[in-house]
Amino acid sequence: MSRQGIAVTGLGLVSPHGQSPDAVFDALLRGESAIRPVFPELAKPALAATAAFDPAPWFNKLQLAGVDRVSQMAVAAAELALGDAGLDEPWDEAQGERIGIYVGCGMGGAAALEAAYRGGATGRVPPLTIPAFMPNAPASHIAMRRKVLGPVLTYSVACASSAIAIAEAARALESGEVDLAIAGGSEALIVPGVMMAWQAMQTLASAEPGQAASAVRPFAADRSGFALGEGAAFLILEPAGRAASRGARSYARLSGWGSSCDASHLTKPDAAGQARALRAALRKAGLAPGQVGYCNAHGTATRVGDPIECEALALVWGDALAQLRVSSTKALHGHLLGAAGALEALITVLALHRQALPPNMHVDEPDPACALNLVRPGESAAPGLGAAVSSSFAFGGTNAALVFQRS
Amino acid sequence: MSSLKELQDLIQDKYGIDPAELDPGASMRDKGFDSLALAEFLFEIEDRLHITLPDPDPEMDTLEQLAALVDRARAQPAPQQQKQQRVA
Repeated sequence: MSRQGIAVTGLGLVSPHGQSPDAVFDALLRGESAIRPVFPELAKPALAATAAFDPAPWFNKLQLAGVDRVSQMAVAAAELALGDAGLDEPWDEAQGERIGIYVGCGMGGAAALEAAYRGGATGRVPPLTIPAFMPNAPASHIAMRRKVLGPVLTYSVACASSAIAIAEAARALESGEVDLAIAGGSEALIVPGVMMAWQAMQTLASAEPGQAASAVRPFAADRSGFALGEGAAFLILEPAGRAASRGARSYARLSGWGSSCDASHLTKPDAAGQARALRAALRKAGLAPGQVGYCNAHGTATRVGDPIECEALALVWGDALAQLRVSSTKALHGHLLGAAGALEALITVLALHRQALPPNMHVDEPDPACALNLVRPGESAAPGLGAAVSSSFAFGGTNAALVFQRS
Repeated sequence: MSSLKELQDLIQDKYGIDPAELDPGASMRDKGFDSLALAEFLFEIEDRLHITLPDPDPEMDTLEQLAALVDRARAQPAPQQQKQQRVA
């Protein structure tokens, strides 16, 4: 592979803030929250960031048979990314064999499974529940549509799923196994049953009536957890040399990736484990911590998680921590779980491309235990930003970090 | 009476396919009804028409054949329905 690294040549997404990468980024710069009350019928008030998504441009009604929302959004986001990369034309079989799809998905078709449970009470379970639910369906639907004949793989690593998927795509590109990768993630689990399961887990933000939009407050003294979000995001990755030779635009380079496992607790994060993933990604990129100007944090706004993430950043950045500007955009788009890493990678790429940082919203009073240089509203300009990192830390203990650099 | 008209209406309602576009004697597979889509459609027919269909012949591929299957199911009460009647 070329010494120039891996270029990000296309971006596509379906998100709570819409389907245009630039418009989504603008909304984040303005600090607009997409978190709203959902499912008023539930016993406990519920919040989420849902995507206003219409599958009609990508599927006719017959094609929707057995295709869960999670796959619909994945196909749409992948198609948008391919179009953005100038890859609308079909490729031939030999080219298709050299293309891979790497998808992160935590839960698969939650709506299909929920419908089966509800239908099951009457003995009527939809016949396509299994193909609709299976977590690798999103990747397969993209492959069938585009005749992608190389590796078509799904990574289910909870909240790190799609960051891991992007890292695995990078490895496949670097090793020469594929010439082009469609890498990202999809998640669509805003259904009552899953919402209640997360409520029972006691990690979701609470909000007074009328305060849903500002309910998620990463690194704030009064934070109370996250809100679920849904959507899909994909990056088109290719060796920088190949991208340049076909005249493709490069938004940024993916220069580093790292993963690690805490191996200590299923749900409690661990600073040493997170630091190992961050160090591995910096080492791969050949960067010193002080050379990285922005971190799109995992920042779930849980009482336990945020200080541990700060500790991990302090372990790696040391004296350079004060220069690292940090924001968690989950305050605005919610936690997309299996798709979070891909959405946040896309946002990190745009931060480099546009030299601007989305603010860390809803912090009136920072938590002293989270001593970070947070990006404040109105302080988004980032001229000269050369490198940025996106972190994803999963239930299960797996940590992932991706480093992007300006093209 | 043939169920063809009801199936055509159902296809129009569910999939937006006009009866004129789907010749009753032509292959449904060619119109996009692969085995999965057909399985889902049979489930929908059962729900809408309150009948129980037998597993279709894998060779079945036209709307005429499907209408005949529905006609046969309607001609004889489904086992489950008989059972319910006995209980009543």
